[in-house]
This record gives sequence, C-alpha cells and structure tokens, in this order.
Amino acid sequence: MKRILLVISVLTLCLGLFAACEKSTPDPTTDTNGNQQSDTQQTDSQKETEDKSSSSDKQKITVWAWDPNFNIAIMNEAAAIYQETHDNVEFEIVEMAKADVEQKLHTTLASKMTEGLPDIVLIEDYNSQKYLQSYPGAFADLTDKINYDDFAPYKVELMTVDSRVYGVPFDSGVSGFFYRSDILEEAGYSADDLNNITWDRLIEIGKDVKAKTGKAILSFDKADGGLMRIMLNSSGLWYFDAEGNITVSNNEALKEAMETYKKILDADIIIPTAGWNEWVAAFNNGDAASVISGCWIVGSVKAATDQSGKWAAAPVPRLNYDKSINASNLGGSSWYILEGAQNKDLAIDFMNEVFGGNVDFYQKILVNNGAVASYLPAIEGSAYSAADEFFGGQAVFADMGKWMNEIPSINYGLYTYEADAAIIANLENYLSGAKTVEEALQDAEAQLKSQIQ
Amino acid sequence: MKGKNSIVRFFVYLILIVASFFSVFPFFWMITGMTNSAVDILRGKMTFGTMFTENIRILFTEYDMANVLFNSLKVTGFTVVLCLLICSMAAYGFVMYKSKITQRLYALTMLTMMIPFAALMIPLFQIIVQFKLLNSHFALIVTGATSVFIIFFFRQSFVTYPFEIIQAARVDGAGEFRIFFKIFAPSMKGTFFAAAIYAFMTSWNSYMWPLIVLQTNDKRTTTLLISYLSSAYVPQYGVIMTAIVISTLPIIIIFFAFQKQFVQGVLGSVKA
Repeated sequence: MKRILLVISVLTLCLGLFAACEKSTPDPTTDTNGNQQSDTQQTDSQKETEDKSSSSDKQKITVWAWDPNFNIAIMNEAAAIYQETHDNVEFEIVEMAKADVEQKLHTTLASKMTEGLPDIVLIEDYNSQKYLQSYPGAFADLTDKINYDDFAPYKVELMTVDSRVYGVPFDSGVSGFFYRSDILEEAGYSADDLNNITWDRLIEIGKDVKAKTGKAILSFDKADGGLMRIMLNSSGLWYFDAEGNITVSNNEALKEAMETYKKILDADIIIPTAGWNEWVAAFNNGDAASVISGCWIVGSVKAATDQSGKWAAAPVPRLNYDKSINASNLGGSSWYILEGAQNKDLAIDFMNEVFGGNVDFYQKILVNNGAVASYLPAIEGSAYSAADEFFGGQAVFADMGKWMNEIPSINYGLYTYEADAAIIANLENYLSGAKTVEEALQDAEAQLKSQIQ
Repeated sequence: MKGKNSIVRFFVYLILIVASFFSVFPFFWMITGMTNSAVDILRGKMTFGTMFTENIRILFTEYDMANVLFNSLKVTGFTVVLCLLICSMAAYGFVMYKSKITQRLYALTMLTMMIPFAALMIPLFQIIVQFKLLNSHFALIVTGATSVFIIFFFRQSFVTYPFEIIQAARVDGAGEFRIFFKIFAPSMKGTFFAAAIYAFMTSWNSYMWPLIVLQTNDKRTTTLLISYLSSAYVPQYGVIMTAIVISTLPIIIIFFAFQKQFVQGVLGSVKA
C-alpha cells in the first residue's frame, strides 16, 4: 500500500514538472497554447476596460530608468511637458539600478509575460543589440513612426536590426579632447596645433608638455577599455563586424589601438590611475593637462570651478589607420518601447512629441542635466550655441554637435563588454613584452570565443 | 611556565585585535560616512562631519525612506512568523510521524535545496503573474514562507526531543496541535529564536526576487533602494551610507536582543 502511494506521488510530481516545462516553451502550433493566449488577451482587455471606466480615462505610461540626477530627472521633465497638453496621462517612472533594469527586463521578457513589462525602458547603447536580437518582436518597430533623419545617424544604426529601427535615440557619448589651454599654451601649443591631430602627434605633444611644464598629458587607467573603444569607433570598426563575426585578431584599427596604448605608457606622459575616482581626481586637481572621453565627462571637468576659463575642447585624435577620423563616441543610451506594453501607442506618441520634436526641452536638459542630445535640430538651439565661460568662451556643445554628425556608424553587436574584458585581460602580456600584439589579440579572440559560444 | 603563557596570550590578543579591527572598520567607516558628503567620503575622510541631517533629509524626503523601511519590515515580519509556523510544523511532522513515506518525502524536500533560485525564478514569476499577485508584498511573503533549510534546521534539533513526553501527552488526551503549541514549542524556544534570526536575515536581505516582483517605487524594499542609489553616474555616497546604516539597524538590534537564545539554539542543534 505504502509503495503504491509513493509511486503515485512521484508520478504526480513528474507530471507537474513536465507540464511546467511544456508551458515555458510555448509552441504556437498547438491548440492548447493558442487557447491560452486568447484567454489571457481577453482578461487583459477586460482589465483594461475596467481600468478605464474606473479612473475616468486616465492612462498610465510606465518607464524604467536608472539615474536620479540624469535620465530619471530628464524623464520627469519630459513627462511634465507632455502632461501640459495631455492631462489624462499619468507617468510611473520606476527607479532602479542599471543592472537591475537589465536583470528585470531579461527575466520578464524570458517569462513571456506581458503584465510585468514597462511601456518605455532605457537601454545602454552597447547592450541594445543583445536585447533586440535575443528577444525578436519584444520591442516596438518604430521605423515608420519616428523621423530618424532628425537623429545622429550613428545612434540610429545601433538600434537597427534587418533595416528596421527600434527605439528612440537619447543621450550621446560624442567624444572630445578636452584640454587645459593654459598648460598647453605654456608649452607653446595654440588651439590650431591641437585641432584634428593623430594619437601619435598627441604623444609627441605629451612628451613636450612633460618636458616644459612637468605635467602629465592624461590620467590613464590601463584596465579601462574606454580609450580603445574611442579609437575603434573613430575608425568605423568594432570587436564584431556587421554580421556579428568576431573581428579581434584581424582588426587593423584594434591592433593600432593596442600599439597606441603601449606607446602612451612607454612615453611616460601619463598619470597612472586605478578606477574612476582617481582618474577624475587627476584632472580635477590639475595634475593632468587633458582628458579624452565622452561628452558626459564635461560635468566632472566643470566640477573643478577654480579652473574656469582654463579649458578648451578639440575633436578627438584619430588613428593612422586610413579610415579613422576625428570623431568618435563613448557610451550613451536610448529609449525603447515594448511591443507588449499596455499603452504602446500612447508611449510612441509621447516619445515622438517630446524626444522627437521638442527643441526647447533639449535646451533645458542640456542646461539642467548636462545631457547632450542626439536630436540634431536641438543643436541649433540657444543653449548649444551659448558661449561657455568655463571653456574660455568656446561654444563646446555646438562643436560637439558638429562632431556627433560625423561619428562612423557601427553595429555594436551582442557582446561589447565581453570582448572588452577579453582584450584588457590580454593587454598586459603585450605591454610587458611577453607577447607580440598579434599573439595578444589571438589570445583575446580565443578567450572571447570560448566565453560567448 | 607563566612566562610562556603570557607570550601565548600576547599573540592571541594581537591576532584578535587585528581581526576585530578588520571586522569593525567597515562599520566605523559606514557610520562616519553617514555624516559626510560624497566628496569627503571619496577623499577618504574618516572623521565625523556635519552632513548627517542633510543626508537624512534627502533620504526621507526625496527617496521616502520611511515607506521603504515600512515595506521591508512588513514583508519580513509576516515572512518570519509564517516561516516559523510552517517550517516548525513540517519538521515536527517529519520527526514525530516516522514512516518510509515521510522519510522519502523528507529526502525529496532536502533535494530541492540543490536547485538554484535562478532556475526557479522565471517559472515562479509566471505563477505569480497568473495569480495576479504581481507588484504585491503578498507575493514576497508567500514565496518566502517556507524554507527548506529551516525545516532541516528544526528537524535536526527536534530529533533530540524525548518522544515519551509526546506519548504521555497523547495518553492524557491532548490533541496534536495542543501538544505542539503547549508542550513542544515552549521547550524548543532556543531553536525557534535561532531560526527566527536566520529567517529574518534571509528575508531582510532578499534582493533578486523583490526586484522581479515589485513594479512601483512605493512598493520597493530597502535592498532595492540601496542598489538604485549606488548605480547613479555620480553616486551620493553620504546618502547611501545613511541608508545602509538605517537598514542594518534592525538586524543588529534583533541579533543583540536574542544573542543568548541564538547561541543556545545553534548549540542545541549541534548536540544531536
């Protein structure tokens, strides 16, 4: 008797497990699943009508974003602007850590449950293809809804899959060469000498500056792949090609970028730093004469108010590689609308009206939050063309707008951070002389392959 | 002999002082950090500053810490009470009704400890959505209300209980619930306290599951708020430290209040 009971209980357990497995891999051809889907749709529409009748046509847009002083503050501003003309729309801006947004989005999309999805989510540009390609159909196709001619072309390219565009470009990471004009003048360099230079030229200037003023040209963290990504992006090449194949060991720009890292370190023209805080501190307290990074660094540069008027900005240096130009990008993020969201159409209308059409809004967020837009008409606005006293009267944001338009378009692929980590891990062997640059890149490629396949 | 002893003692104290320095130092930094601004903390300032009231103000007005703390306390409180009740009864059953089936069931229950939470997360999320429990604290409480480890912990200490007392109570006509609540549980107080502290810590520190289930700012718990504060491009370290101190306080209070029972309970389970 007991044995029979045991067998029965084990059988029911197994059955339960199988049923669970079946559900988690829905097959659209089976009848049962089709029925289920229509069931949930019905309850959804029922719920929606209930919601509408109960709250007198109030509609809610849910947004996930991560920085209280940057993208959340900006979203609040955008929401307020939209509500001025649409008083029946409410906003629920859910505050989460960046890693939490990614984790939550992955789980919710993987569970195939539309209930937990936001209407709009912020995704970092380097990760956008990971989501777009891993969850086809999960994000709303906005190709015909948004006028993408108004946005910086490189931002549009990174959210394109099979010539369909998903997402609304947000903050740009257009990079610049921000330098202390007073220190460089002391060493005998005018603004023209620093315009459109190569990295090799920068190293020469760095040596000269060090000899004449004793200052380092850059603060430099060799464990950070940021500069390498700037060099790569300026060449129109990446760790992956347009088809998603790894291009690490056979990448001319990457090879030159590695060599440039070594040259910079061997020339003894930098302050070695570890981590973000040391890196920022080195130019804030005047030890480093310049910084090369994305435009979002301007906020940290300006934090040293005692250096006002002593800074200037030039286009980012280029590599010797023939396709490399003096324009590049580091970082940035964009908004995406979920296909399964409750108020998808409303969300599209909102994004179109504010992020895709309101020039004044972009002036406001540049002044208040330091957000450099990738919306091109905004760059003609007053806030962008204003002379910046901190940069000695130079209209830096208008200049950045010009550089932004030239940034080579790249498809970042699915595994930017994994590739970055593999290269940095093998960089030390090359820097120490244990391996040649080709060997180090081959090792990095092998490591990357084993990690992502 | 005496001299040798004092040398040994000297080294023992030395090691202990170094060890205690390492374990107390983070707390010290946390508490001084609470009174400083982000810039001072980054500069490595270790002394007390003047930003304490400002940090508290930002935390309670801009991030509604009072509500967040209340959410955490509510979820944890219900979870601990339910968890103690369910797990202790389950363990009682496994110990007092011994048969082949219960033993196999017990083994099966133990096996589920081997399944990582990451593997359960998506199906569990689907269930919660189907039950329309998304964005509710109930979803956190109901999933946290049983812990296989705590069942195991209770069982290990319950097996030492003299079965004769239960038999005597049964002869005297006490029902099974009465035996459990009036006779059995009071004499196992230590075990209950130890389990309560463990359940409290697990629920208080839980992060992944609340992150997946909760959908709005007004429902979030302390772990989610701290994680959010730390991911800003320019983090407000002073505010973060304040939030960490406030969210550590309940655990410290509970631990010191029940320290004696906790040690007793752990010893009790080892005796078996």
